[in-house]
Amino acid sequence: MSNNKIKYKPVDLHIQKMAEHHGSSAEATLEVLRDLDTENNLTPENITETARALNIPAHQAYGIATFYSMLSLEQRKKVLRVCDGPVCWLKRAGETRSAIDLAAIQKGDLTVERSSCLGLCDRAPAVLVEEEQAGPVEAEDAIKLCEGWRGTPTDYSKPRPGEKRVMTALIGIVDPDSGDSALKHGVYDGLKKALQQEPIAVLTEVEASGLQGRGGAGFPVGRKWRFVASEKRTPRYIVCNADESEPLIFKDRVLIDTNPHQLIEGMTLGAYATGACEGYIYIRGEYEYQARRLELAIKQAEEKNLLGENILGSGFSFKLHVHRGAGAYICGEETALLESLEGKRGEPRLRPPYPPQAGFRGQPTAVNNVESFCAVPHIIKNGAEWWRNLTDDPTPGTKVYMVLGHVRKPGLFEAPFGLTLRQVIEDFGGGMLPGSHFNFALCGGAAGTIVPPALMENHIDYSSGPLKGVTRDIKVMDKRWTQVISMGAGSFLICDQTVSPVNFLRELLHFFASESCGKCTPCRVGTWRSLQILDQLTAGKSTAGASDELKTLAELMRDSSFCGLGQSVGIPMLSALTHFGAEFARAENEHEPIIRG
Amino acid sequence: MAINITINGKQIEAQAGQTVLQAAQQNGIEIPTLCYHKDLSPSGNCRMCVVEVKGLRFLQAACVAPIYEGMEIQTRNDKVVADRKMTLEMMLANHPQDCITCEVSGECELQDLAYEYKAQAPYWGSKGTRYPVNSDPNPFIRVDMNRCILCRRCVSACAEIQVRNVWGVAHRGFDEQIVAGAGINMLEARCESCGQCVAYCPTGALSNKMNYGAARAHQVKRVTTTCSYCGVGCNFDLLVKKDKVIGVASNANASVNGLALCVKGRYGYDYIHHPERLTAPKVRRYLVDGTVKPKGHHDVTTGQPNPWDWVESDWDTALSFVAKKLKNTRDTFGPDTIGVLTSAKCTNEENYVMNKLARQVIGTNNIDHCARL
Amino acid sequence: MNFSESLFIIGSNTSEQHPVFGTMLRRAIKNRGVKLIVADPRRIDMVDFATMHIRQNPGTDIALLNGLMYIIIEKGWEDKAFIEERCENFDEFKATVMQYPPQKASEITGVPVGQLYQAAEIMATTKPMAVMWAMGITQHIVGVRNVMTLANLQMLLGNMGKPGGGVNPLRGQNNVQGACDMGGLPNVYTAYQNVINDEARLKFARAWGCDEAPRTKEGLQGTSSNGLPSTVGLTVTEMMPGILTEKVRALYIMGENPVTSDPDSAHIRHCLEQIDFLVLQDIFPTETAEFADVLLPGVSFAEKTGTITNTERRVQMVNQAIPEIGQARQDWAITAGIAMKMLEGQVDQPETRFVKMDAPWAKWNYTDSSDIMSEINALTPSYTGITHSRLLKGERLQWPVPALDHPGTPILHTKGFARGKGKFMPIDHVPPPEMPDDAYPTILSTGRVLYHWHGGAMTRRAKGLMEVYPEAMVEVNQDDAVKLGLDGKKRVRVTSRRGSIEALAWVTDRVPPGMVYANFHFPESSANELTIAALDPVSKIPSFKVCAVKVEIVE
Repeated sequence: MSNNKIKYKPVDLHIQKMAEHHGSSAEATLEVLRDLDTENNLTPENITETARALNIPAHQAYGIATFYSMLSLEQRKKVLRVCDGPVCWLKRAGETRSAIDLAAIQKGDLTVERSSCLGLCDRAPAVLVEEEQAGPVEAEDAIKLCEGWRGTPTDYSKPRPGEKRVMTALIGIVDPDSGDSALKHGVYDGLKKALQQEPIAVLTEVEASGLQGRGGAGFPVGRKWRFVASEKRTPRYIVCNADESEPLIFKDRVLIDTNPHQLIEGMTLGAYATGACEGYIYIRGEYEYQARRLELAIKQAEEKNLLGENILGSGFSFKLHVHRGAGAYICGEETALLESLEGKRGEPRLRPPYPPQAGFRGQPTAVNNVESFCAVPHIIKNGAEWWRNLTDDPTPGTKVYMVLGHVRKPGLFEAPFGLTLRQVIEDFGGGMLPGSHFNFALCGGAAGTIVPPALMENHIDYSSGPLKGVTRDIKVMDKRWTQVISMGAGSFLICDQTVSPVNFLRELLHFFASESCGKCTPCRVGTWRSLQILDQLTAGKSTAGASDELKTLAELMRDSSFCGLGQSVGIPMLSALTHFGAEFARAENEHEPIIRG
Repeated sequence: MAINITINGKQIEAQAGQTVLQAAQQNGIEIPTLCYHKDLSPSGNCRMCVVEVKGLRFLQAACVAPIYEGMEIQTRNDKVVADRKMTLEMMLANHPQDCITCEVSGECELQDLAYEYKAQAPYWGSKGTRYPVNSDPNPFIRVDMNRCILCRRCVSACAEIQVRNVWGVAHRGFDEQIVAGAGINMLEARCESCGQCVAYCPTGALSNKMNYGAARAHQVKRVTTTCSYCGVGCNFDLLVKKDKVIGVASNANASVNGLALCVKGRYGYDYIHHPERLTAPKVRRYLVDGTVKPKGHHDVTTGQPNPWDWVESDWDTALSFVAKKLKNTRDTFGPDTIGVLTSAKCTNEENYVMNKLARQVIGTNNIDHCARL
Repeated sequence: MNFSESLFIIGSNTSEQHPVFGTMLRRAIKNRGVKLIVADPRRIDMVDFATMHIRQNPGTDIALLNGLMYIIIEKGWEDKAFIEERCENFDEFKATVMQYPPQKASEITGVPVGQLYQAAEIMATTKPMAVMWAMGITQHIVGVRNVMTLANLQMLLGNMGKPGGGVNPLRGQNNVQGACDMGGLPNVYTAYQNVINDEARLKFARAWGCDEAPRTKEGLQGTSSNGLPSTVGLTVTEMMPGILTEKVRALYIMGENPVTSDPDSAHIRHCLEQIDFLVLQDIFPTETAEFADVLLPGVSFAEKTGTITNTERRVQMVNQAIPEIGQARQDWAITAGIAMKMLEGQVDQPETRFVKMDAPWAKWNYTDSSDIMSEINALTPSYTGITHSRLLKGERLQWPVPALDHPGTPILHTKGFARGKGKFMPIDHVPPPEMPDDAYPTILSTGRVLYHWHGGAMTRRAKGLMEVYPEAMVEVNQDDAVKLGLDGKKRVRVTSRRGSIEALAWVTDRVPPGMVYANFHFPESSANELTIAALDPVSKIPSFKVCAVKVEIVE
């Protein structure tokens, strides 16, 4: 029983080597644990050994091992992750899952797991077989899937009518795995031009462009970079948020897959403008293919002296790394991402200080979305004026949009700001499917507003987002939350009359409850309880007052939660309750299971 | 630098760098807290201390929100109180509803706040059925994670006060859980059983195993004293019920140690009432019989009355034997044939009188203690 | 410690012996980035927090420190201004240190030369550095010289008399400081007033009603039989063998257990068997009780009120929480009872001793311990202003407190050393008294563990502590364990020239090969059956930390 019996033996040699391979610092924890997980060796003993090898507390390594959904302490075979996200749900992923469960039993060498969202919404129902992305996988494809079939990736090489392609311009034109091809098609022209200028000129250009962050909050990129550049402390860091884990969103994956050098160029420009010397691309673990593609591109860029020491003889050096997540939506929150990047549990940090003051390793850090970085080379190459002139809308430039659900042509497109929901559905989505008529849309992303047809003509941009504008008085805000269309990361899930908003909201809460980090009470218990109520509502087992309780929970989470995750869960909840109150009331009173959707 | 802020409509001058909580506390304005403790770094995770700040979208956790010039704060308006109450109810939903039998009833911060906010335990929730009760074999610390509100004060206390890093946070979301090491038992996770985590736990999730059931807070008399083990000189309170020491509790005013103690100081007290305590003077039978001290080995049990038998005696008799014998030795063989061993475990006053006895009464400098050992 | 930039722990297993202090050090390291150097043959827990661990051979501290000081002087890192203004005898000292070039120091200590340079650089560049030491320094035949060598180091670096610097002994027992302060030593009255100093003797003679002339050496012949003795008395390590020569005939022991806590237990038992009269005052019938003639039940700390003085000279209250158990009596009252009975009916005759009871502090009729404190205040300069009422009001007092309105003295030697200038002492390495040989090839070092205390009388009667650490364990290095055929379950027999014990072997790299470590908490397998009663010539402290043993497996 005595802890004096703990043996002071040398650290397990195998784990010691793994740790050394990843740099033997606390920041390597997640990587070492991922390696162990790949070996099917993630046991408490090995986790403790990992902690010893990295000189961190054992609980810290264990906390990480149990935090990320891709890691498992269970003994697993070949892992097959079936997407559980709301888009896949809409595409009857439940049936796919049952079929795959059956097939797995037949095959015997598979472990089937559920994943909150795989980031493959344009390939729904989607599956991740080990690290291979597959979809769409219908129920009848289950056996094929087990035998190596992976479905077809979506082809975005042909622009839709009305598109204005900037960041997506080279899709299908440039060879993503060739540095030469990238150079040939003008990638890095922006960098070459920038290196002829002073960093401050690059920074000023980005500021003048009015480029707003594409992660969802729309914070001006130039202003953020200015904060970093004006910090006295070095080193400074550039971090790319490629943890695209929100249901409905897959644009960053497509941008990386089709033109990885564009992102590298954008980050290098960011580093040049802010005086950073090192950069990290934090990419979600489910995007292993894309991570490798980026690593290859980085290698190519380094070979061509477009990255690394003394870039193109300019005296400017920039080192870029790819860092893989391991399954956690919360890591898209920038401070949680930084925690994760430092090898910790992806829990949000207290703010202030904000990352531009104290980010990665406590140093000044700019964290930006993939799409934000991808826009920068074009702004530098063509000028801020050109970018502003791409649209008449108050928000300058173009945006990569996604449209999903019951439309004829779901997928991705690029267009200037200032679209209405009607344009998204009819002009770019090809209209509703035959027999479908528009019932509601989830706008922005999973944490966006759920809107009825009445709002179809509203302009969608960052300035009309639910967190912007008019007043900051909580009581006035209450009304505002529900009256707007979220821009978010630019995705729109269009649902027809067959989908019940109650069932749909249940799916969303299922996602949020799975992905709440657990740090604060309102979000940890609030998402769980909300899901419980929605489970009862959809099963026809609800008790009176369910809608009111949902509303109170949503308001509590929105107002009292620690970070953006909890705060934004209230948005779909409150908008659904406002616009579709009658549906909720019916579910509450009728005590019938809801079969629609 | 002074900063002007307004709390509940009242103009207040506070210091730059303070949090809302610090500024409020300094001005006698109470804001409830659970995960916050002044000795530990604030984490802002329980959300009990939320306040409304004019112009900010969300409620702010007072324990971590920095003040700024012109900040207008409401600490007790309807919205704030409603959110706190609901947050409490979320904690209660999954917490056992058995304060009546809980070890820490009467000294539980969750209980106090739930009462103050008139919170109700919701009909839903696990009600404390998710984890095994008394789940860790540590002989001193009773673990019942059903009572845990995930405030993480234990984690901070272990990391920041004891610097041992046994407790940590594992899993996520609703499944989040406090664990020792890699989800193993405390001692195997290198716990030193100092009990700092117990001292900082606001609920009954971590409590003292040795005095489980011994007394309620209101039945206990607390006597502040100084530890009897090493030379660091930690202060703590002895918990006394009916003339019996039933436990040790940290005392926040302790000048050397604050709330911190070690395993011996906090849990090594039960020797006080050990049945082997000497409770009456004893003398050897030969002294009572007035015979000569026999040579040879001392403690022999023959079943027969033996000159070496211990005989219980009254104080007057025992002290008379001692005084007479010491006096005779002194007067016959000289004061220096007597040695006095005083004690590094006894008080200054007790040591002083030993020194006085040796030098004044016996007349020798043969006095020493185990300082060297 | 709050101002230290680096810490040097030598001969102190701080996190197990002074756990709460150990956590304060850990906090300084973690929160303030303080650098820690641990010099210890064992890989103690503090090593986990150390910038570097020096693993010197047991009993080679002087060679190690001289080697470090050689490097400091060689590199010109010494604090020349401090040495010039505040110290003396530097040249003689330097001549000795120059006898310890790194290569030689390395050969004696087994510490690589590179590590010596690394450590010296940390010491010289991160100041102030505090030295923390405990029994690992003093329990050697060169204990006093070890301490002086540490003082040399700190003077050389200019770390003396500064916040965050100094040589900081960590006192073992809760009131070892107070027992010393209160004259519980053969050479001093309270506050270190020396018994051979006539002025001090006169002061106490007048206060206590004794003759002003010193007591004659023989004791009771002649007119001066009522004086105070003017020669130094016997230490505990001299009293025991004194019994065998009838130099000592009676012992009055309060709260000590020499059978378990003194070196070479077999010898102690042999001595105590011969004693004419032994009075033991304690709360438990300890191993020493077997040899007692009278057992007097004292009280535990929970049953008494008084003061104790911690390792930083802080005087604090112990407050009575429960009534005395059974007929147990306040320890001071027992002593007073004996005194009063001895003084009862005394007659002023040449063949006996006589105390003049009208002297200001001659009487023994104390009503409580604060009464005794008043007497201490009157006779003890450093305690003049320390009263129970001040302490109970919450005042925090560290002696010297020369007056009732004095706030106490947290740091000593801020302006100068007690003796004027700090004197560098030239000190040479002396090997331990007993080194391994063919018959006893292993080095034994001894000490305590976190869960137990000293002779174990209290902690072996604490249920929880016994659950965690139920029996003695001997630390054996894993390489030695392989050679012995130990598998972690078997017991070992450890034998020295003086005795033999059996205990569970804890196979661990805490000890280096060729060394074992045992504790003395469990009488049935106490390390002190093995230890050697070789003493430091000055302090009379036994060499607990090094002796030679052989280790065998118990089949």
